[in-house]
Amino acid sequence: MKGSWLPISLRETLQCAYSPRPLTSCRQQALNIRPRQFTTASRKQAIAAPEINFRDRRDRDPGRGGWEREREIGYQGGGEEQSAFVARLLPVSPSYFTAQPLFTDDFLVLQNLMTKHSGLPCVKPGEHPRVAWRSLSEYRDRVGETVKAAKYHKIVEILVRLNKIHPSVRPEEVQTALDQYKRNIDPFKNEQKTAQVDSLGRTLGAGRRKSATARAWLVEGTGEVLVNGKSLADAFGRVHDRESVIWALKATNRIDKYNVWALSMGGGTTGQAEALTLAVGKALMAHEPALKPALRRAGCLTRDPKRVERKKPGHVKARKMPAWVKR
Amino acid sequence: MILRNVAIRHGRKALSAPLRKSFLRTLTNDTISAETHSVERSIENQLKQTHSIEANINQLHLTDSFVPPTLASEASEAVLSNHEHKRHLKKRTGKLGSVVEKHYEPQQLVLNPPRPEDVTLELLMASQSHLGHATSLWNPANQRYIFGIRQGVHIISLEETAAHLRRAAKVVEGVAYHGGLILFVGTRAGQTSCVVKAAEMAKGCHLFEKWIPGSITNGDQILVKCNIKVVDKDDVDISSGYTKKLEEWKALKPDLVVCLNPLENYIMLHECGLNNIPTIGVIDTDADPTWVTYPIPANDDSLRCVQVIAGVLGRAGQSGQAKRLEAAAKGQVTWQPPEGLGSPEPDKKTQREASETNSLIDPRGTLDPRMSLNALTPEAQIAKPNPIIREEIPGEL
Repeated sequence: MKGSWLPISLRETLQCAYSPRPLTSCRQQALNIRPRQFTTASRKQAIAAPEINFRDRRDRDPGRGGWEREREIGYQGGGEEQSAFVARLLPVSPSYFTAQPLFTDDFLVLQNLMTKHSGLPCVKPGEHPRVAWRSLSEYRDRVGETVKAAKYHKIVEILVRLNKIHPSVRPEEVQTALDQYKRNIDPFKNEQKTAQVDSLGRTLGAGRRKSATARAWLVEGTGEVLVNGKSLADAFGRVHDRESVIWALKATNRIDKYNVWALSMGGGTTGQAEALTLAVGKALMAHEPALKPALRRAGCLTRDPKRVERKKPGHVKARKMPAWVKR
Repeated sequence: MILRNVAIRHGRKALSAPLRKSFLRTLTNDTISAETHSVERSIENQLKQTHSIEANINQLHLTDSFVPPTLASEASEAVLSNHEHKRHLKKRTGKLGSVVEKHYEPQQLVLNPPRPEDVTLELLMASQSHLGHATSLWNPANQRYIFGIRQGVHIISLEETAAHLRRAAKVVEGVAYHGGLILFVGTRAGQTSCVVKAAEMAKGCHLFEKWIPGSITNGDQILVKCNIKVVDKDDVDISSGYTKKLEEWKALKPDLVVCLNPLENYIMLHECGLNNIPTIGVIDTDADPTWVTYPIPANDDSLRCVQVIAGVLGRAGQSGQAKRLEAAAKGQVTWQPPEGLGSPEPDKKTQREASETNSLIDPRGTLDPRMSLNALTPEAQIAKPNPIIREEIPGEL
């Protein structure tokens, strides 16, 4: 989170908000930086050479020359003056000047692993275990740095290569490195829940279309349909919409074999009707799984992902432009 | 057969019989063909039906029995044993055969770089460090480093290169010895490995991607997220005593910058100039030697040459660090602490213990407040029995 485009007061707040580390390690900037902005160097730094310490001259060993002449500071230097505690500042990571030390270190660690284990046998193409890697935003949250997508992609490329190493010869360190970048949930192990017929012989299906949602309960019966407590003709004025609701049953010749009790909400009539198509189709498939290909062909199992297109600035609607005026 | 002789050969029979037969056939054929047609149709229909049923069944069958591709588990033992066998063979037979004399192994320059004393004109020549640019591209400031012209290309004098490289190595060693922070910069493609290795050897920093302008002049803004630590003379991390100061400390600046491609890093070199930070740079015949403090005239387009130079400087830094630690082990500190860093603040436990000892040992309470700080060093621990020591060795109590 660089946020250099923000005013200073906001910047600090954002840094604290986005940083996963404790607030104390986020060095306080907002208050201190303001007076320092006008000068980049203190007065002492502007002097080219350090001040001559005449005490050194006294201690100088004539045998040594050049830079090998050590200045003795601290406890050995003799207690005639106040002895200073010797400590110096160093960056935690050698990638300090990249401004993204955690990312750069991660990248180098993975790259080293890749070069080290490049000779190991790989699985056949397409046979490697399918893995969902952490997304860019997840990684950014973890390291707390503004990592560009292209740079994170480099890491993912290395991970993909490491993942191709055959599991029987895969070293421990590679496995731990891979585990660090795996998502906590494995979406590829997710199995779709199949609807079941309950004790009363009902099946429930849910469907969506545009902004409408619908649930439909199907029982074996004589072909009665109730949508939100109303008959089909009362619920939908358009014939096409009425046909849409029972389209799954019609396409499979089962209009007179099932009763439908459905709830739909949100959106308009078309949206509700077509949401019901999906809901009835799914519920029917729970009764008769063998109908899946027929229902699929009839378009009763596919969610239509189209939504209202957003309005854009400079346009009157999503795509409509204002009328052209000569002047 | 000749048609006009047919009647003569076969007589009346030959003329009449086929006519009658064909007439009869036409009569009978009509009904038969209609029947067969209908039968054929029905068979076709049956086939179509069975085909459609079969297709349905097949589809169902396929979707039911579809198994996503998984690892071939039966091969895993074979892969493992094959790999082990290959390693075994390589180990046993790898050193057989003739020995190849003196040849170039690209990765060796990175894995085991040459030392400053290994720099010879032969090595420099072999690593193509003498090749400059076309004469039309030259920067006349490099005239004194140029040996001559060959095939329209400037040739850099290897003696100059070696001398300047050794001088730069001395500078790196000296900065490392005096506890300076060395930054190795090589932002061209392929320079990553040698830059990282050099920084690792010299315990410095590396940069192999774009220099973010302002990292030195505006470091307080750009390097906010980069953490720093405090080390003592033996490079032991003692940040715990400086937490408050570290939070407010301004961004660090390098004490020496080694740039392997100055042409692309003018902004960085300019920032170093503004902050009086000495720079070492590989100066090709088209670069300006005044951009850097210590130029090394050499070919910056050859990865091999750049690897030699980075390796030599990294080795120099390594020896400087080793000498510094050696001196520190003898109790000599070869550097000055940064201004305003001061002594570590005592943690609460030590403070409490110190106050207890004050009350026990010195009832007047005239004990030097720095005593508890000095207690952190081995000398002070030897000099004076201390509550910390007692805490560390429970057997003593």
